[in-house]
Amino acid sequence: MKPPPTPGLVNRVIALTFLLLTFTGTLGLGAVWMRQGISSTANSNRALEDRITQVERRLDHVNAEVAAAVNPEALLRQNTFMRLALASPREIQIVRPIGSPELRLAAKRNQEIFRLGATSSDSAGAFRIVTASLR
Amino acid sequence: MSKGFASNRLTLLAIGVLACFTGVGVRLVFLHVVDREELLGYVDKARRQIVVEHARRGTILDAKGNLLATSKSEVTLAVDPWALVEYLDSDRNDARRARKAGDERAKRGQLAGLLGLSVAEVEQAFSPGMRPIKIEADHRDGKVDGQTRDRWVKLREGLDEPTFDLIEKLNVRGLTHERIYRRVYPGGGLAANLIGYVNKEGNSVTGAERHFDLYLKGEDGWIESEQDGARRELAQFRSREVPVRDGNDVVLTIDSVVQHIIEDELRTIAGKFNPNFATIIVSEPRTGRILGMANYPSYDLNNYSKAPLEAQRNYAVTDMIEPGSTFKIVAAGAALDQGLVTPASAFDCGITSINYKGRDLKLPKEDHPFGQLTVAEIVSHSSNRGAAQLAMLMGEDRFYEYARRYGFGQTTKFQLGGEIRGILEDPAHWDGLTITRMPMGHAIAATPLQIHMAMSAIANGGARLRPQIIQEIRDSTGNVIRTFAPEKVEQVLRPSTAALLAQLLHGVVGPGGTGEGFDVKGFEVAAKTGTTQKIVDNKYSNTHYVGSFVGFFPASRPELVVSVIVVDAQVPNDKNYGRAVAAPSFKRVAEQLIQYLDIKPAQPLNRSIIAMQGGFP
Repeated sequence: MKPPPTPGLVNRVIALTFLLLTFTGTLGLGAVWMRQGISSTANSNRALEDRITQVERRLDHVNAEVAAAVNPEALLRQNTFMRLALASPREIQIVRPIGSPELRLAAKRNQEIFRLGATSSDSAGAFRIVTASLR
Repeated sequence: MSKGFASNRLTLLAIGVLACFTGVGVRLVFLHVVDREELLGYVDKARRQIVVEHARRGTILDAKGNLLATSKSEVTLAVDPWALVEYLDSDRNDARRARKAGDERAKRGQLAGLLGLSVAEVEQAFSPGMRPIKIEADHRDGKVDGQTRDRWVKLREGLDEPTFDLIEKLNVRGLTHERIYRRVYPGGGLAANLIGYVNKEGNSVTGAERHFDLYLKGEDGWIESEQDGARRELAQFRSREVPVRDGNDVVLTIDSVVQHIIEDELRTIAGKFNPNFATIIVSEPRTGRILGMANYPSYDLNNYSKAPLEAQRNYAVTDMIEPGSTFKIVAAGAALDQGLVTPASAFDCGITSINYKGRDLKLPKEDHPFGQLTVAEIVSHSSNRGAAQLAMLMGEDRFYEYARRYGFGQTTKFQLGGEIRGILEDPAHWDGLTITRMPMGHAIAATPLQIHMAMSAIANGGARLRPQIIQEIRDSTGNVIRTFAPEKVEQVLRPSTAALLAQLLHGVVGPGGTGEGFDVKGFEVAAKTGTTQKIVDNKYSNTHYVGSFVGFFPASRPELVVSVIVVDAQVPNDKNYGRAVAAPSFKRVAEQLIQYLDIKPAQPLNRSIIAMQGGFP
């Protein structure tokens, strides 16, 4: 007849079994926690996708509405409805400058400056205006 | 307790445990092997789902980025009346059930208000009913009587998103919906013949919608996953996912404002002359880009189903007409290009017949009696006999070759298709009089676009381009993935000849020209009038005419080519001449385009003649 196992061995087996159970339990719980995390992430992703799709749909709707509101026919209707009397200019109303418009404007401005200088008395104030506008 | 009993008990327990395990094993074998397919099918049906995500069709834009066609989400609202019944029946408490029913009734009242329906109509949709079903398919409600619960009663379709958002907030029980993308055309009838449409079945039918369908349609995506008992997707069980690829955007060369200007002008023509059909085309000579192409009659793209088929045709490419005097640019251009004549060369246009290759040929009639005319005057006065003599100088073969070079008798390769070639017979099939009649635009048929592109070749230094209607393709994020450059088809005339001919055509709107009074001051209109009798019952009619005015401006620096063609205008005293029905429209359109496109007035003709430099290489 074999001798019964020593209490130390039994305690070690029990401890190891407990450790094993704890380990596997932790693994199991970890797996559950991970799956839960995966599913909540997946669901929030899907919710975000749905939201994006919804926003895109609204954008399409708004874009179509804007396009319908700004097409030439609609604008002309608005022009009539609001009595704005807006019309494109006719060629006869347009004066096309010959040469560089910048030079023409500069010459005009200079003429104004010198005229101002000539009409006012020789005061320092007039000179200050000239320098300020040339700056 | 005896030792035997204990032993038997252990044996019985062991047998019991073994039997249990065997039972479990057998059940597992049945589940996993014998009934596997059936059960898998059931699970698949109950849990697995494939959700198709429909691609959003790309938009069509004009050259300035204005939307011409887009897809808008719309909701079809329906009712599952039995869902409401089940919801109320699930509550055993009578008082609470009555309160719930009252709340739902109140919501339905609000729903009716949002939908613009009467409460009675909505209540009718919510009353549970049955619908017939095939007996062999009737296994849904446990009774095989050929009747099943009607769970889809359509309440309203074409509902917009903002209204649907309000309806969703009401949280009405039993309400269900389906979303679809519907094609909308913000411009209504703007450029209808060019854009085309997509029908209710989602098939592209005509125009850019059809011809660029490959770019526009995109690719549907799908998701394979599982669903819970309430049919909600379990996103964590997605096993396969093919992303949706939205369609590309197509950018056309047309400009909405230019298109509107010419469509507005066509409405004026229609109101004034009630023609059979009319066309106005505007393009850039140096690139071949079509800025506008409009037809009368036309239709509203958002109500395409109500439009007659005749209104859906793009007459500019699907129908042919005799070009009439606008075709004289061929004879004049060819004779100048060959060096056979100069603008000052004179011809006797008072003669009624001429000897050609040993035969006396009768020359065509003139609208006005002429005597000696120079080539410049033949063009400006539109002399039929002068044009015939110019063609005779070259002979049939060379004249035919030039007509081909101008693009007659062949398609222009218009990108929206539907185009016909017109008629230009080989000289071998000409009769004896064709050489006298074809130079004045008879015995030949061409589409309005062919005539337009022939004139455009002169404006582009003699180089004929392919008409361009598509500018670029953009992906759904707006990146340009393909651009379309101008395409030169053929060098029709030498650049110097084209510039010379442009000057001669400017004479058409000058004193004594057929288009006198239709110049735009400072913008050197170079154009050609055209009037031709229509062939009715195999003979030229005296009451049905085609009036045209085709030209470009400024002559020395061409920026735009404009063609106005009016077929069968109803004019008092039958004065259907191009100058009466088409030239005024040309001038009005030109004046508006000059302002809109900020075209600068021309320099004198002897300066910076772009055509002289060769135009588009």
